[in-house]
Amino acid sequence: MIQLDRTGLTFSIESFTIERSKIKEFALAIGDDNPIYYDFETAKRDGFSDIPIPPTFPTVIEMWGGIDFETIIRELDLNPLMVLHGEQEYEYFSDIYAGDTISCLAKVISHVEKKRMDFITIESVYKRDEEVVLISRSNIIERKG
Amino acid sequence: MHSLETVHKPIITHTQLVKYAGASGDFNPIHTVVPIAEKAGLGDVIAHGMLIMGMAGEALSKWFPRKNLRKFKVRFSSMTRPGECLSIEGSIVNEIEVDGELRLAGKLFVKNTEGETKLKGEFQVKKESEEV
Repeated sequence: MIQLDRTGLTFSIESFTIERSKIKEFALAIGDDNPIYYDFETAKRDGFSDIPIPPTFPTVIEMWGGIDFETIIRELDLNPLMVLHGEQEYEYFSDIYAGDTISCLAKVISHVEKKRMDFITIESVYKRDEEVVLISRSNIIERKG
Repeated sequence: MHSLETVHKPIITHTQLVKYAGASGDFNPIHTVVPIAEKAGLGDVIAHGMLIMGMAGEALSKWFPRKNLRKFKVRFSSMTRPGECLSIEGSIVNEIEVDGELRLAGKLFVKNTEGETKLKGEFQVKKESEEV
């Protein structure tokens, strides 16, 4: 039995404005040398209206937007040394660019215990104005020692 | 099934993990602070799973136009440490139609030089009319 079921718990980011320099920093950290993340003219030539975000950049919006590691650990009452990232999924509905202001509503959609491990799934819906541009699902695992 | 050109990444360093922590905002110390990683029973620090997924995302945008990515899902299978060298293998498995859009569905794997799988992923990209 789960001691404390976290299903239904929500976190939100009111607004996070994406900056070109943050995209560049993120691409550099991954070692992704795709010029569309560094050069506006190249991005434009590839059909983008500004510098696009790399596929996993939504993690930056969450972490720097306030749904960060410390917050998740505190709000879900997890042991930080026992937490693992199990799965991650993104569904892309629209291009997201530098200059966009994004809001995010994250919700714990499932919390189950199996074999002395807790499995928690968080679904985040990202919007630009009222348009849903992206959905992410993260599955995190807490080992119980 | 159609194989995609394997993407090889340079060796992962402690410095890269510090850079990724700052860039992503994930400051879980098991990725950057060796004494805490030791206390967690991990020995050395481990790479952020999201950094490894980021490398897989880099491969996807090398294989297909960035604009065409529709779905990207991964399962993390084993931990990655500084000193490891990873590569990303992928293949197109089939063609599907979603909401009237023709898509290519595929699989990818991130492995180290010993062949240990770090991550297994699935993806969907919009099919360009000229693509086979």
